[in-house]
Amino acid sequence: MRRLWLDVRLFFDGARLSYIALFRWLQPHTYLASKIVMPLAQILFFTLMGIFASGQANAAFFAVGNAIHLASVNGIYGVTMSIGGDRWSGSLPYIFGTPANRLVLFSGRAFFHVLDGMLGVFVGLAWGVLLFHLDLSHTDLAALGLAVLITTFSTSGLGLLLGCISLVSIETMFINNTAYFLLLVFSGANIPLAQMPAWMQTVAWGLPLTRGIAASRQLIAGARLSEVLPLLGGEILLGILYVLIGFSLFRWFEFQAKRRGTLEAF
Amino acid sequence: MIPRPWLQNARVAYSAFVMTLRMNAPDAFVLFTILVQPLLIAVMAMWMLVERGAANALYVVIGSGMTGLWSTLLFMGGNSINWERWTGTLELMVGQPTPVSVIIFGKNVAVVFQSLLSMVGSYAVAAVLFHQSLVIEQPLLFGVSLVLTTVAFVSFGLVIAPIFLLSPAVQHFQNAMEFPIYMLCGFLFPIALLPGWTTPFSYLLAPYWAARALHGTSSGGASFPELLYAWGMMLLLSAIYLAVSGRLTVLMLNRARADASLRLE
Repeated sequence: MRRLWLDVRLFFDGARLSYIALFRWLQPHTYLASKIVMPLAQILFFTLMGIFASGQANAAFFAVGNAIHLASVNGIYGVTMSIGGDRWSGSLPYIFGTPANRLVLFSGRAFFHVLDGMLGVFVGLAWGVLLFHLDLSHTDLAALGLAVLITTFSTSGLGLLLGCISLVSIETMFINNTAYFLLLVFSGANIPLAQMPAWMQTVAWGLPLTRGIAASRQLIAGARLSEVLPLLGGEILLGILYVLIGFSLFRWFEFQAKRRGTLEAF
Repeated sequence: MIPRPWLQNARVAYSAFVMTLRMNAPDAFVLFTILVQPLLIAVMAMWMLVERGAANALYVVIGSGMTGLWSTLLFMGGNSINWERWTGTLELMVGQPTPVSVIIFGKNVAVVFQSLLSMVGSYAVAAVLFHQSLVIEQPLLFGVSLVLTTVAFVSFGLVIAPIFLLSPAVQHFQNAMEFPIYMLCGFLFPIALLPGWTTPFSYLLAPYWAARALHGTSSGGASFPELLYAWGMMLLLSAIYLAVSGRLTVLMLNRARADASLRLE
């Protein structure tokens, strides 16, 4: 019982402290820019390009796709920087020197980013409502909230995996930026999946966000939760899979770094 | 006979140009802004615009290439002075006889020159992945437009670099400044889609006139007077940017000297 209590404390303390550490150097201006202004700019750009291509009637397709894609701002950048931050700030050797439960410690890094990522998506949807008259009158809002939660979780799973790569690579931002834009291409945020070649569709269904965006679009169009459960179930499983792969890599990198003495090597 | 100080300045600017090219070549972030991001935008735009018949492939090649020009200028050109400060070389730059603006000019020319690769990459995406036949309708006029575009972007970069140093608050919004310029300058869709009150802002941006000239000459859709007007606006705005950047650079250096913050971390 005591062990469980310690793990719970470690999860929440680690989550809170890593989040505070991240935003200690990310000033409020930066937070505002990345959570309010940048999402607005991205949604405007791709939705207007979509309107130019296919007319005002399709604005909702692009507004929703890009709003849900914003989950990856926290999922990719936030989580990766929380994991990689331990290496950059020199605290990694201390963490690897403790007997703390690694899975709890590892997954805790994503906790606040899931919540913050949800906020980012809601801000994006609000921009959609304000600027492109996105109609939520037929939407089961609780179900949409659940879809956003699941999508943000699965995207954070990918972030945990990429965060592990940042433990052994100095090109973290290159990896993050590339992943962010690849998700923009493959997730169906801007290009309907049916329009993609078969190999791209296969890749798309193996990535987080794809099912979440599809489910959110259906919910906003008036579908019931039961109708999108298969999509959301798949999104959860995919998220768990990415967390497990990321955790395996984390353990492997810890073992290799200790064996080779490269914990702080850059 | 060229006056001696001009020759010296040209030599320093050229050295800054070469050094920047060498330093940027292995930088993964530069690789991302010049090639990866514009190429992925080109892929999306090809599906969104060309496949639906809203624009031709050359329009996408030019537009997505220009997104690479702007993103690289924003991050690499915008930080060209800050970078010297972070690495502790700004004090040395200020202490030597050549004006700092000459060095920043050389660095920005290198950044813009490198980022022209974005257009080559976008061209390759359209030709190889999407099997598009790409023919520039007015190659000579397109070449002139490209040269003037380079001048316009370099001048624009010279304005934003000292602003980022003078006002860290503005720099905090650096990440959020990519897409607004894509939109205001009409890189991938006409500015007519934007609210009317934004149009004057577009007219004040030299990249907007660059986009008009490049799109117009590549498609052959612009008349010669229209083209002359776009070129004239690029030159006029570039001259204004150069004058403003000169003032801003002096102001920035004076303030940094007074605050003893030339090497501020």
